[in-house]
Amino acid sequence: MRYRRTKAGVFSSLLAAILAVTALPALAHGKPAATALQMQAEPNQVQNVTVVQGDGYATLAWTHVDGATDYQIERTPVAEDGSATGNGVIVGLWRPNRQINNDKPTFADAGFAPGDRFQWRVRARFGTEAQPYSAAVVGTTKPHWGDPNIPGQNLRTQWEQTLGAQYTSDVNEYAYTAAIDELSDRVRVTEIGRTVLNRPINMFIIGYPKPPATPEAVAATSPLVVNCNVHGNEPGDREACFIMARQLAFTQDRATLNLLSKTTVLIVPTINGDGRAANSRGNSTGQDLNRDHSLIRQPETQAFAEMVRDYRPIAGYDGHEYGNANTGDLPMLSPRHANVPQGIFDESQDMIEGHMYTQGAKDGWWACPYGCTPGATVGLGQETILRNTLGLKNVVNSLLELRSSGGPTRPNESNTANNRRRKTYSGLWTFNQFFQYHGAQLKDLNKARAEAIQFQSANTGPIVLEGSREIKAYPAPHPGEAPPPVDAPREENILQHAPCAYKLTEEQYNGARTDGPGGQGTTVAQRLAAHGWKVIKTNDGYIVPLSQPQRGLVPLLLDEQAVAGLVAAERIMPTVTGTRKGALTVSGVTCIADATVRGAITVKKGATLIATGSTINGLVNADRAAGFVLTDSKVNAMVNVLNTAGPVIMVGNKISGSVLVHGTKASGPANVANGVIGAPLVAGNTLTGLLTCTSNAVTPVNLETPNTVRGLKIGQCARI
Amino acid sequence: MTDVFLDTMRPTPRRVRRAGPAAGLALATLLAVTGCTGGDATDGDGITPVAFTVTGPLCAELPAGTEPGNPESLAGMPADQAVQWIPVLTTFDAAVRATGLAGELTGVTVLAPTDDAFAEKFSRTNLDELLLHDTDELRELLREHLVTAPMSVAEMVAAGTVKTVAEGELTVTAQGSVARFGNEAETVCADYQATNARIHVIDHVLGSLPTTAGGEDDHPYH
Ligand SMILES: [Zn+2]
Repeated sequence: MRYRRTKAGVFSSLLAAILAVTALPALAHGKPAATALQMQAEPNQVQNVTVVQGDGYATLAWTHVDGATDYQIERTPVAEDGSATGNGVIVGLWRPNRQINNDKPTFADAGFAPGDRFQWRVRARFGTEAQPYSAAVVGTTKPHWGDPNIPGQNLRTQWEQTLGAQYTSDVNEYAYTAAIDELSDRVRVTEIGRTVLNRPINMFIIGYPKPPATPEAVAATSPLVVNCNVHGNEPGDREACFIMARQLAFTQDRATLNLLSKTTVLIVPTINGDGRAANSRGNSTGQDLNRDHSLIRQPETQAFAEMVRDYRPIAGYDGHEYGNANTGDLPMLSPRHANVPQGIFDESQDMIEGHMYTQGAKDGWWACPYGCTPGATVGLGQETILRNTLGLKNVVNSLLELRSSGGPTRPNESNTANNRRRKTYSGLWTFNQFFQYHGAQLKDLNKARAEAIQFQSANTGPIVLEGSREIKAYPAPHPGEAPPPVDAPREENILQHAPCAYKLTEEQYNGARTDGPGGQGTTVAQRLAAHGWKVIKTNDGYIVPLSQPQRGLVPLLLDEQAVAGLVAAERIMPTVTGTRKGALTVSGVTCIADATVRGAITVKKGATLIATGSTINGLVNADRAAGFVLTDSKVNAMVNVLNTAGPVIMVGNKISGSVLVHGTKASGPANVANGVIGAPLVAGNTLTGLLTCTSNAVTPVNLETPNTVRGLKIGQCARI
Repeated sequence: MTDVFLDTMRPTPRRVRRAGPAAGLALATLLAVTGCTGGDATDGDGITPVAFTVTGPLCAELPAGTEPGNPESLAGMPADQAVQWIPVLTTFDAAVRATGLAGELTGVTVLAPTDDAFAEKFSRTNLDELLLHDTDELRELLREHLVTAPMSVAEMVAAGTVKTVAEGELTVTAQGSVARFGNEAETVCADYQATNARIHVIDHVLGSLPTTAGGEDDHPYH
């Protein structure tokens, strides 16, 4: 479904905006001013100040003064001839905890109106004792991004037009979005859902020369996603997203186009349009949507979950604002829930600590860990939070906070337009850096994701129902040198022996629920489908195997001890372990875990096999099974999976022989059964023989986790 | 601090850098506005200007000169639209819209608390409840911030006591260069003129609702 507002009336105002922008005088971009001209240095005077202009910020750098405890940055508006047109104001306070390499101080000054001209001076302080100011550097800041004479580039948001005095309204969002969609071949705007009050939830899909045509094709490009505005009263990141969408849609920068030709950028500007319009944190029912990403009680989070299922981003950022005045400019945090695969956590940490801290030190932005104020209880492992939900779905990602107030390090903000501009342009910097990181690390990201999918599908190791991975402290940029709270899992929240599956009754699975808007909730069936889970229908219930790519999330919704559970389902423990001599015939539901089967396995009509971590020395043959799950196993013979009524999952197996997947029915709720959820999952397997797929209702998928096949890939599996 | 805005048809050279008026957003007057921080009484051609003066410690941080949202540009707007241009009134603006109170913002003085003032008064959960569910209660609260006639700060101080639309009374006293309402609230940027209304930005929430801020929920984490 594609949402387009009628353009009459919308375009007339945009045209007027373009005309107005065209009328702007041409502006020279900031050139580093004449630092070389400075006179004989005074003692402890800051030397070698340079300024480099970015989009909405100016990076000041200077040579460290021995003995300085901090630095003050002064900004003065100046005319073309260099004469001051206003008073100098201290706009920044540089402290050593800003950056990892604090012997090379930098500071991103921001908050000014784009295009204005300034001079900057920096002075050191020894304790509270101010030292002489540096010589001044002068520069003209960059105007709003985009050439006023080039169609598309000359679009401006309401926020830009008003210099931050107003945020972009819903109506103006739709107009701006539709204009970008219309004017750029690189952009397709899709409505991924509707809010409770029926506002569209749009998503920019951006690729070069044009975006892939279907969700499946987008998924194949390992896309990245920015979720811009979940809390309606935290609108700074959303404005950054609008600007970024325009940049990507109309830039002629070759490096950017090169990146865009290799992937797809997904931008969801306003998942919570009702909350944004009301300036409320929650959606129109008051539900905090960032406590709903696992439970998906609300249509907004359902839309996002379905988007993640279908478009399959491999990396993400989730935008917020944060009220702690003493934190950094840009608090960030990785998915910490202990069930998040190690590689996803590690890559997320690398994105934050490896990339953002380094680039932040270069450009003067203070990226830092979230929740690092001593004694803070924020930034834990709740699976209802998008950061953790995405991690559990094998997406490398981070929270992003824009510090709400200027705080002590940006004394010239006072919750006004200055403040809004600094926040939004710091968000724009972060999202562009995220795009750069994704492009540079694509191989590693894909590897981490493929390994995570295989790890989770193997259903090995304990399950943690509540608790986080540790994030270690650095001297900087950790304010207060306090790492995020430890939050180690407590013994009672660990299941040392993971179930093989959960079993739901008809009532649990399809029964009416009251936990949605207006006391009407979607069914558990619909929610599990939104996550993309495979569910096996048996003659007396519904089986959710843990041997699937979101294994770590499954117990968090279905276990009786879950902290934020959806339904208390019955644990199904493994029934076959150890060594079994001879053949095995499966009827009913059989769970084989860490077993050795010295013989063939035959799965009878209507039966379900769930086998993980096992060695099977004979032919595996299933015909008309209810479900077939084989992961992390060794099979020293052929595997035939024929005419399965429900899900087929084959991930991370080593098979000395060939595999045939034939005639699988489309499983899952009728409205989505033809998508990824109804497709056999055949991923990360190593075969010595042939991989043949024929006559399956939905073409099998590998979730971008390729199979290694010594023989041929045939039929529907030719490309996986 | 005082900003004086001069009405003239000819922009001075140093102010042309910031155009960018918003289409359809009633900013056309911006192109005709000049002057910023100076106290100039006349422009170079000797035309007698009309002054739009706002006063208070926060004025210097708010849109001024030719910036969108400057005091003169708000003068021709209904008060409910004018508050949408003052960046510290995000919560107040949302409250006006949530309660459908726009129609009552005429023939009155609006004492508009800043976003910081709302955050000091109400926990985030409480504020969401007011904006989304308890709008009757919120409407009554807003009416405690509406004085029954448009008055400048000087006029209110001279009156000493003013009546609110909620039929309460507010004492008004001069505190140096600002005015105080009741015991706590002071003007931080006063004397915005809107159509048939005055707007004074104040630093505390008035009225009788209990304070719910001060706990963990003031700044709920992501
Ligand atoms: Zn938030």
